[in-house]
Amino acid sequence: MNGATEQLIAIATEAGAIHADAIAVANSGDSIAVRNGAVESVEREDSCGIGLRAFVATPAENHQKQGCGMAFATASTSDLSADGLHKLAQQVIAMARISEPDPDAVPPIGADHPSQAELHGWQQTHDHTNAGWSLEQAKAAALACEETALAYDHAINNSEGADAGFGSSHMAYCSSDGFAALYHKGSASLSVSVIAGSGEGMQRDYSWHQALHAADLHSPEQIANEAAQRVVRRLNPGTMASGKTTVVFEPRTATSLLGHLTSAINGRAVLQQRSFLTDALGQSLFPNSVCIDDIPNHPQGLGNRLFDGEGTRCHSNRLIADGVLACFLTDRYAAKRLQQPPTGSAKRGLTGDIAIGASNLIWQPGTLSQQAMVAEIGNGLLVTELIGFGINGITGDYSRGASGFLIENGILTRPVQGITIAGNLKQMFAQVTHVGADLTWFGSSAVPSIAIAGMTVAGQ
Amino acid sequence: MSQYHSVLPIAEEALQHTLSHMLPADADDGDLYLQSASSESLALEEGRVKHISASSRQGIGARVIKGEAAGHAFTDRLEPAALLQAAKSARAIAGDGGNAAPVNIHAGIAVPSLYQAVNPADGVDFSQRKALLEQLDGLARGLDPRVRQVFASISSTFSDIHIVRMDGAHLHDVRPLVRLNVSVVVEENGQRETGSAGGGGRFSLQRLIDGDGPQRWVREAVRLATLNLGAHAAPAGTMPVVLGSGWPGILLHEAIGHGLEGDFNRKGTSVFADKLGKQVAARGITVVDDGSIAERRGSLTIDDEGTPSQRTVLIEDGILIGYLCDRQNARLMGMQSTGNGRRESYAHPIQPRMTNTFMLAGNDTPEDVLASLDRGIYAVNFGGGQVDITSGKFVFTTSEAYYVENGVIQYPVKGATLIGSGHEVLHKVSMIGNDLALDPGVGTCGKGGQSVPVGVGLPTIRIDELTVGGTQT
Repeated sequence: MNGATEQLIAIATEAGAIHADAIAVANSGDSIAVRNGAVESVEREDSCGIGLRAFVATPAENHQKQGCGMAFATASTSDLSADGLHKLAQQVIAMARISEPDPDAVPPIGADHPSQAELHGWQQTHDHTNAGWSLEQAKAAALACEETALAYDHAINNSEGADAGFGSSHMAYCSSDGFAALYHKGSASLSVSVIAGSGEGMQRDYSWHQALHAADLHSPEQIANEAAQRVVRRLNPGTMASGKTTVVFEPRTATSLLGHLTSAINGRAVLQQRSFLTDALGQSLFPNSVCIDDIPNHPQGLGNRLFDGEGTRCHSNRLIADGVLACFLTDRYAAKRLQQPPTGSAKRGLTGDIAIGASNLIWQPGTLSQQAMVAEIGNGLLVTELIGFGINGITGDYSRGASGFLIENGILTRPVQGITIAGNLKQMFAQVTHVGADLTWFGSSAVPSIAIAGMTVAGQ
Repeated sequence: MSQYHSVLPIAEEALQHTLSHMLPADADDGDLYLQSASSESLALEEGRVKHISASSRQGIGARVIKGEAAGHAFTDRLEPAALLQAAKSARAIAGDGGNAAPVNIHAGIAVPSLYQAVNPADGVDFSQRKALLEQLDGLARGLDPRVRQVFASISSTFSDIHIVRMDGAHLHDVRPLVRLNVSVVVEENGQRETGSAGGGGRFSLQRLIDGDGPQRWVREAVRLATLNLGAHAAPAGTMPVVLGSGWPGILLHEAIGHGLEGDFNRKGTSVFADKLGKQVAARGITVVDDGSIAERRGSLTIDDEGTPSQRTVLIEDGILIGYLCDRQNARLMGMQSTGNGRRESYAHPIQPRMTNTFMLAGNDTPEDVLASLDRGIYAVNFGGGQVDITSGKFVFTTSEAYYVENGVIQYPVKGATLIGSGHEVLHKVSMIGNDLALDPGVGTCGKGGQSVPVGVGLPTIRIDELTVGGTQT
């Protein structure tokens, strides 16, 4: 695959690119779904593709009109033949010549690349392609998971099934300054979703886990029991009175808060004034006990990476330091325009421009158990599920559908659903009152329970 | 414009050979799905069209169905060996029984196309598209001095599909799709707001560019953004809500559409699973899913199993009379496919999905519907929505809404999520406008990790009670 990316760079350079970078991706994977004890589906993936980003110089006669920056374009194909690569290069260069130059454009040369020794070291410690499962083993895990969940309680009477999957992905990156590297990654996942109650009283809940190796997955029984406990406890929900209250986000729902934060400190959104945190660098956003990190090399993180989508060496970034917004997430372009060092956050897919995203996000835990938080809060709402997309990224206004449990006199009393919670993210961040000790990983982010005061619930 | 001529991207003999190895003698269904898709997109930001991208991808999906089980495998490598490997993987759901009898590949029933078989980008070069985006940028900035940022994008996709069914029937569809989007950021006294608008459908880029849509959407985006600058906090609590016509039809998509998809009902996981023949909406309400409207974003000449799309009545005068089915779920429920078997691409399995879903018009004038509102919300436009099909709880979020007293608009309110129950909300519809409109062609629906283009529509309606998730108590 490295061969294909290097070949593509050579073809693009010959076709007129001043600079270029390329990525190639090949994925293979298997998954099996079982429902009510029988196989419901078997799926097999075998995909490959290559993507090119090429930069061209502005013709001299256009300097006065367009400035003397560089213009670029991107394209991808699943046709890896020599003919396919030539067509791709010609297409990209033709498109780049129409694209408008940007004086701040950062071509793929001179990034802070990892050394050959670092690449080699990473391959020794991180690369693997075997997730450790066969289709039969995955099937056995899925069957055991569903069976355990269905047997947990007589109220559980239907299933959306259990799903087990495993696969590997290979990614090659090459830039025209001679940097070339290859990643291999395997992963496995197991999930189950069950239903309790009947008719209009039905409830569904689920649990899932994903890990780099099947051996690191939570056991089928653990995943099953979590899904089963969750669905049973939400039966017979009521509503609640509208008003201001403290909301506790359990780790599963608190991950969405991390997502909203990283969208708002995305350097590209900041440059475009599309974020409510555009002017917030150095400001105290959270209480000073809050620290949030972007850590690209964590034993439990699925987002580990040695270098980012531009070949920039990744390092840990403290995003929120003692409550203060310490940096924006940047690729090289955003870093240049925002005049801060690149955070190694370029994300590159086969198609389209570079995006910006964190590696592994960790909201550093506090010391309270969730039970102790609930006891301290006294009255409020524990949110266990959120639906909808009611986030205005430019104002921070927040309004989402929710279900969970009422907190009365320091304990969880009854399930509620059909309500909304609303506020403004900037105010919500400032009103974090408690951070739990129950740090929980979900793929590439880890978060504890979080309590936020002063949110508005709409119910009855 | 010249019509596009398509040929099978792989030799017929190889397909025949694959089918015979893929299908066990006792298979209920199965097919090969060959797709060649390409897309082009240009985006303007900060006054410059500096993001131009393209992609092309082709591959084959192989599928075997037996009872409730489905095997699906795909490959990006259009080689006989890769194809055979995919076929063997798809067959993993079946036992070791013998192969199905060999079939001859032959042309399936021809279905008149609902859209032109063209690559929508043909005849419109990149510089023409770039010039349009630059023109829209200038238009937006000239409309209001408070406009600080303009984002505009234009994209086209072209999908050429071949379906070879178990019996050898070969069906073919060429699907163009275009889309233009504008969003702006406005600023006043340090406060920033945004507004967006767009549209498209299954026609050529030339048509999109020649129409007045792009300029209208710029005006709409600027109007929405500046309107939101003056928006008050939305109320929190349960109250009557009037929904405007058009895109607010997303209510139907979330509240009942997903709950009527065949897979959830066959499995008994939808709140609508035991409600066929029962009243699920107020009398007078009729809801249809219609994939056969020419050139609409959600339309399909044939679905991804080769079944012609159709107009399916889901709710007639308040009574639930139909589900949306693909072939497998239809067979298992003793029904007919409604032409709703869809997949995002050859790399995804078939699911029953909506096409264009809307409520038929009633007799009330929209003015009368709004005038009926004593104290409540008039919601004209929405962002996205989501549903839990098991509990029936659904949400959708306003992007243009007003607080109304005594039938008169008082002031715009900030975006708020509305929440209700799918099996209750249509019972609470007390007035139906005579102004059915379909959305401008912007909907994308997500289900099980797959995105497909859809449409929605609604006349102005009054819902007597919905929970509004604002901050004002």
